[in-house]
Amino acid sequence: MGRRRSFDVDETVEAAADLFARRAYDGVSIDDLVTRLGVHRNSLYSVFGSKRGLYLAALRRHVEQDVRPHLARAAQPEHVPAWDFLLVAAVDRAPDDPEVAGLVSSVFAEVDEATGDPRATEVLLGRWLRGRAEAVRHGAADVPTIRDAPETAPGKEI
Amino acid sequence: MATISVQGQDLVVEMNGLDKLWSLKSKLTIPLAHVRGATVDPGILGEPKGIRAPGTHLPGVITAGTFHQDGEKVFWAVRDALKAVVVELADEHYTRLVVEVDDPRAVVAMVEQATSR
Repeated sequence: MGRRRSFDVDETVEAAADLFARRAYDGVSIDDLVTRLGVHRNSLYSVFGSKRGLYLAALRRHVEQDVRPHLARAAQPEHVPAWDFLLVAAVDRAPDDPEVAGLVSSVFAEVDEATGDPRATEVLLGRWLRGRAEAVRHGAADVPTIRDAPETAPGKEI
Repeated sequence: MATISVQGQDLVVEMNGLDKLWSLKSKLTIPLAHVRGATVDPGILGEPKGIRAPGTHLPGVITAGTFHQDGEKVFWAVRDALKAVVVELADEHYTRLVVEVDDPRAVVAMVEQATSR
């Protein structure tokens, strides 16, 4: 595997976001990052300071690029957002990391503004959560992000 | 093995027992403002470490002392890779410390809490 001494920071952060979204914080080791991102270990430390530093950079990038530009769509009924990393971070890291908690809370407040009603935000988040399980049941387990609402029969029993 | 603690505004790294001898250091005191982060990293022991001067390097047994690589100075004190913690520094004699501690996760949590205050 090719390790590069100089590397594209944005590309690295994007790849890290994908890894953290799928495996959560503790499921990603520095070995995984070095191997999957093709980045020299020393470079990783000198650029990001720590695994947490890279995680925060990845989460901020996800919020800036994947969440904030799509807030307007949050108000659309049946829309399931592709915000896996944000929501995994809310469950996985927010209880342990005040900085993650602060970022997640402020994004949820922005979603409230976009939907115009906190309850609409909760419906949206609930739909995302249900979509996670539905995607697996529909054989889409390998799809890293859920981009569209899964087809569900109306009035189906849970 | 080293003991890492937060004392006032400093991070204090104290070598235990004979590790003082192998690493030729008994204690490092670093202002918290110069600590960029800490990471549990068992895999780092498998990386090339650069040139040792001074210190002790018996591959597979102990890595201790000062190592020079790519213009970086790294302080090592590790026997058991599973307990290695990497502490990244700024504006210090050492670029990075790689030390073995009793409870790596607890040490990382302590450093993160102390540096994000």
